[in-house]
Order: sequence, then C-alpha cells, then structure tokens
Amino acid sequence: MAKPVITAYDWVPWFAKGQVRDLRVRWALEEAGQAYDVRYLPQGCQKEPPHRALQPFGQVPTFEQDGLELFESGAIVLHIAETWGVMLPDDAGGKARAIEWAFAALNTVEPPLMDYAIATLFEEDKPWSKPRLPSVIARIEERLDELAKRLGDSEWLDGAFSAGDLLMVAVLRMVKGTPMAKGRDTLAAYVARGEARPAFQRALAAQLAGFTGTPPKGYEFLDQPPAEQA
Amino acid sequence: MTRPLLTAYNWSPDKGAGLVRDMRVRWALEEVGQPYHVRHLNWGEQKQPAHRARHPFGQVPTYEEGGLVLFESGAIILHIAQTRPGLFPEDEDGKARAAEWMFAALNTVEPVVWDLVMARVLERDKPWFEERLPAVEARLRERLDELSVRLGEAAWLDGAFSAGDLLMVQVLRHLGATGILHSYPNLAAYVARGEARPAFARALAALRAGLTGDPPADWPY
Repeated sequence: MAKPVITAYDWVPWFAKGQVRDLRVRWALEEAGQAYDVRYLPQGCQKEPPHRALQPFGQVPTFEQDGLELFESGAIVLHIAETWGVMLPDDAGGKARAIEWAFAALNTVEPPLMDYAIATLFEEDKPWSKPRLPSVIARIEERLDELAKRLGDSEWLDGAFSAGDLLMVAVLRMVKGTPMAKGRDTLAAYVARGEARPAFQRALAAQLAGFTGTPPKGYEFLDQPPAEQA
Repeated sequence: MTRPLLTAYNWSPDKGAGLVRDMRVRWALEEVGQPYHVRHLNWGEQKQPAHRARHPFGQVPTYEEGGLVLFESGAIILHIAQTRPGLFPEDEDGKARAAEWMFAALNTVEPVVWDLVMARVLERDKPWFEERLPAVEARLRERLDELSVRLGEAAWLDGAFSAGDLLMVQVLRHLGATGILHSYPNLAAYVARGEARPAFARALAALRAGLTGDPPADWPY
C-alpha cells in the first residue's frame, strides 16, 4: 500500500489552530502507526476546482490512497480504523457500539458546539448572537450532562479506547475555555486522557508544524489572538 | 436471526411527515427486506430512565437485536448496511465512499438544515429572527449549491442507491416546508426519487400506522 496523502491548510486563524479537522485523521493514522504525506493548501485553494473534485464542500481533510479518495473526517477515521484494524473491538457488537459513539460525536454533540462557535467567533458582532447565546449554551449543556452521566467514572465510552472516543474527544476539545466547561470535571478528564495519548501529541504537533503559510490579504488580524486573550 | 426491535414515538410533532429519525431506520430495514418490531413510546417517555438506559441522549430510534443495543440512526443504518446486502456496494472502496456520504449527510448537511428548521420553529417570535434568517439561509444555500453541483444529473450520489443516499434524502426532506429546494431542481428530483422507492413508502406507512397516541397536554403548537 502506498502512503496515504491527506490535505490540510498552511494557515488558519489563531482560534482554529489545533482544531482543524485534519487533526482527527492525523490522530487516527498515528494510532494506526501509519506514516502519511500532507498536501498543504493555502487559504482559498480549498474552494478551487482541483480540490473541489476531491471534496465537494471545499473543506479539509481529504484522504487518498491507492486510488481511493475520501472526504468527511468521520468517514476517513472509520476507514482507517477498519483498514488498519485499530480502535475498533474485534466482536461485531462492540464494533457497532464504537461506531455508534463516532456518530454520536459528530451528529449529536458537535452540531450544537458548532452553533456556539459560530455565535462567539464568526457572528460575535451580530445583533442576534448575544440574546440567542443562552439557548445555545442550554442545548450544549443538556448534551454534555447526558454524556457525562453515561461516561460515569469510566476511562472511555465503551471499553477500550475506540474511534468513537477519538472523535468524541476531538469534538469536546471545543468546550475548553467556554462557560460550558465549568463543573464538568469528568469530561475534562476524559478529554485530557485523549490528549495525553502519544498518538494525539504527535498529530497535534504535526498539524501545528504545518502552519507555515501567511494569512490571506485582509486576514492578518486573525493570525494571533487579541492581546487580552494571548 | 431474531427480528430487530426499534423504538419510535406513538405521537410526533411532525404529524406523520416521517421526519422523526426512526423513519431512517425503518426505511433502511425495508430496503434490505428485514422485518422488525417496534416498541412505541409515549411522548416524554424517551427521557425516562428505562429508555435512557438504551439511549443516553433520550431520543429515538434505538435498535435491539440479540444482545446488541444501539442508538444513533447513522450508526444503526451503517450496522444494517454492513450486516445485510442492499445498502452498500460490494467493493471495499465503494463501501467507504457510501459511508462518506452518510457522514456528509449527518455532519455537513444536516446541521445547516436543522439550523433553519429550528429557527423557524423555535425563534420565529424573537425580535432578531428576521435579521438572523439570511445568515442561516446563506450557510444552508452554500452547502446545497455544492451538493447540487456534485450530484449533477446523476440519479444517486455515487453509483447505485446507497445508505448515503438514504440519509441525504431524509435530511433534505426536512426542507420540504421551507420551499428552498424549489431553487434546486436536481435536488428536489433526487428527494422525489428517494421517496418513490417502494421501501420508503412501506416505511412511511408503518410509521404512520404507529402514531396512535395523543399529543402531550402541554404541547404548545
């Protein structure tokens, strides 16, 4: 098998560093012990026809190997888990439950968190963002409390560390530093366990090392956090 | 193999439009020709401990078969597609691409669809509703433009009808009341092709036949 090739950005705003979704795929490849190559895209390139041919929604990451082209980080992570035989239990039931948590991360927990990110980062100055925020936070907190209750004192969501945990930890990293993090220590510890994995550390370092590009014209102010947040 | 057991509501706020997520699983089971049983819940029962043990987020559907208990409609459909022929291509690469469209439906398209649907239901009386709507619609239209371009004149997203199409059609059906698909004739036709499948019709009829309950006393709409 040829080395897989993924795509990632060579520059993102400060708040997206360590959060862009190629991190999930890098992490999965590191867990699998599979070396990979990265094709870096300057901002804007993701919306151009050559990348759109790989990713119809003009995003990263993509995954290419031996003629197979995939997008959607969830699908890529599952493909890696299945192909390399990692992060999924051997029995059919356990495997189905690990995949269940992958979908729970991406379809139940992540959407309200993205809503929060839009309201606080991209639409912070819009007149609706502040009045709407309490209901957004309430929806997230309901999900986080349900998740914390299910996790209980367990190390991972269902037995050994799985592709479902990888995606859930990646999603929950967005909670850090928000008002929703307060008092949710078991979830914070769960995220910390994920982040402590050597494969995660290597993936994060590789993503951060890849930001060697310059911001597009007009976006220089997003290169570094504002002084009071630095 | 034992017959799988699903959970569904005996009443739903969509008045039988088939938008509650058990519809997706019913449709998948009909596509693969797998009969199933349904445990119907009164509205509110989904948040009680008995159901929470099956589904930590207190929703439907769930899927029980032998000793296996699953939640998340996407995961249930992936499980059905992996264990019975009819929803995935035979080759491994084709399977990965069908799964890719499942995730695209649930993680890329559904959140922007849901944002508009929820805004119209829950935020209509807010003073900032009208002002926010264009931003919500713009995010949705960006994704629909992209999906429309990728689908082009094809019948389905990647070769034969797959679990990815099933989920994408179900996600797009939520836009019915908004009229937004009128500007995307190929996506409207795609949804209509999905709805024209006999398995879809059987699933919808079964879902409607199960709606024998009453709305909760405090239902506001």
